[in-house]
Amino acid sequence: MPVVSAVTAANMKRVQSTPRPGWQAYAESLGFQFHTIDGEPYWDESAYYQFSLRQIEQDLEDVTEQLHAMALDLIPDILADEQKLDQLAIPADYRDALAESWRRGDPHLYGRMDLVYDGSGPAKLLELNYDTPTSLYETGFFQWVWLEDQLMRGELPAGADQFNSLQDKLEQAFANLALPQPFHFTSVRESIEDKGTVDYLLDIATQSGVDGRYIALEDIGSLDGQYYDLQGEPITGLFKLYPWEFLLEEAFAEQVKTSQTLWLEPLWKLLLSNKGILPLLWQKHPGHPNLLESHFDNGSALEKGWLRKPLFSREGANIELVTADGKRLSEPGPYQDAPFIRQGLQPLPSFDGNYTLIGSWVVGDSAAGIGIREDNSLITKDSSRFLPHIILD
Amino acid sequence: MKRSKKAALILMAPAATLLLAGCGEQEQEVHVFHDVDECAAFYHPPAACQAEFEQAQAMHTQMAPRYQNQLECEADFGAGQCETAPERHQSGSFFMPMMMGYMAGQMLNRGNLAGGQAQPTQQAAGGSRPAVPTQPLYKSRDDRSTFRTASNQAVASQPGVARVRPSAVQPQRAQLVRRGGFGQQAAARQEAMRRDARRQRSYGS
Repeated sequence: MPVVSAVTAANMKRVQSTPRPGWQAYAESLGFQFHTIDGEPYWDESAYYQFSLRQIEQDLEDVTEQLHAMALDLIPDILADEQKLDQLAIPADYRDALAESWRRGDPHLYGRMDLVYDGSGPAKLLELNYDTPTSLYETGFFQWVWLEDQLMRGELPAGADQFNSLQDKLEQAFANLALPQPFHFTSVRESIEDKGTVDYLLDIATQSGVDGRYIALEDIGSLDGQYYDLQGEPITGLFKLYPWEFLLEEAFAEQVKTSQTLWLEPLWKLLLSNKGILPLLWQKHPGHPNLLESHFDNGSALEKGWLRKPLFSREGANIELVTADGKRLSEPGPYQDAPFIRQGLQPLPSFDGNYTLIGSWVVGDSAAGIGIREDNSLITKDSSRFLPHIILD
Repeated sequence: MKRSKKAALILMAPAATLLLAGCGEQEQEVHVFHDVDECAAFYHPPAACQAEFEQAQAMHTQMAPRYQNQLECEADFGAGQCETAPERHQSGSFFMPMMMGYMAGQMLNRGNLAGGQAQPTQQAAGGSRPAVPTQPLYKSRDDRSTFRTASNQAVASQPGVARVRPSAVQPQRAQLVRRGGFGQQAAARQEAMRRDARRQRSYGS
């Protein structure tokens, strides 16, 4: 038995683990086509993270719901303040439609917030991925299957649990949202990763009794202010794994104002998926233990201990940071065209040389589980690996 | 317990590979003509030629591909080859190509003297093979010799007998709907990434 000090025992741990033999073929049989991407591992079960129940419930679950409530609470403030809408670079043409989607109470399905957390001390919010969050299948399904398999094989201690009610909560949400039928799901045609995420949601929705159908984003039709599927039927409801800030710049954007389509996520999510929400949260709750100091960027040189990122960006693209000891790191990307914010740098904790980020899920308004990403740099990117976790006391 | 009670999938586990319908499908003989006179010149009864033509003409208004304006239509079918469609959109009429010929799926009773082949028997009545509905044909701007269906399926390069797969020439109502208006940012950013020899895998976050 390894001797573990009391302090370490209470901490979040990274534990080496034997991958299930042949898991790749098994993954593919379950529709997980992107477990390895460009020859690099994405799903990585050579290790897992272990948390105590207290860490999960107090430091992550409660904090997630609190941060979520704080974010929703900001929406009326933003809608009432043109200057804030300017700061968030919300297109003037769509402000009315956005406000209307909020006042009408257009439902929201899910979101993921990225947290820095090392097992002790308050988790810090890095950003809200509240419009097109991914890694859903990995978290809600494949991680869950991994736990069940490893328990069955005796590779994990009996009684090991997981903070992962994602699929249960999504299923309930689809059953309760009273979505228009049929309900369409869309993603960019060439992204197998996005198709995987959308297929998973379509699968869950179908299990909840929703008449769900897939349509490639490029195939959506438009006529007289409505959107149409390939059969020529109006699209009454649409889940889109494609950012609002892109949609609103495209040829069919105008019909967002006139169509009868119910969108998931709703247009008002454009406010929360926006990195500008971070300085606004800080302005309203300065010094909050789960927030990092954030400001709208003034274009000046980045000082030590700060990070700069675009209002709209994905997968770590266009992020620049300067560590406390002056080391500069940056990630290129295609998002140079939006304004930026800067955020106090809270370096990701390092476990065996891996930098670890926690993605904490929200379904409706409830915390619904976590997924863990690891990268060999301080910036988490699309190439970062996904690792499973357990809860064990 | 902090995890889902169950996590089942009902759609994502891939089903057996579906064979494309149409593979191994038997071709069927049809007759293709520019107009009624040409049909009759191929030794078909003029009355039957006329009846088939009228049937195709009626389908023309339903099946012809629709365009937002004359310019877009003529880009595909050539100058002066388009006419207004019955439907209107917010800023004017839809346009559609003129009918340039027709395909008779029914037997034209007189018999095929020119080809000298045995007549194919009409099997559609038995239901074992889908019939080919009589329908209008079009010619594109770039290729004035080929007869095409409303859904751009090439069927013949000259009048007379042609062989088609029935599933390829099933009529569909014209699509008035424009497509391809979403996804442009993805394409543009993909291009930007390609210049950096990188690839955008996902539009999620």
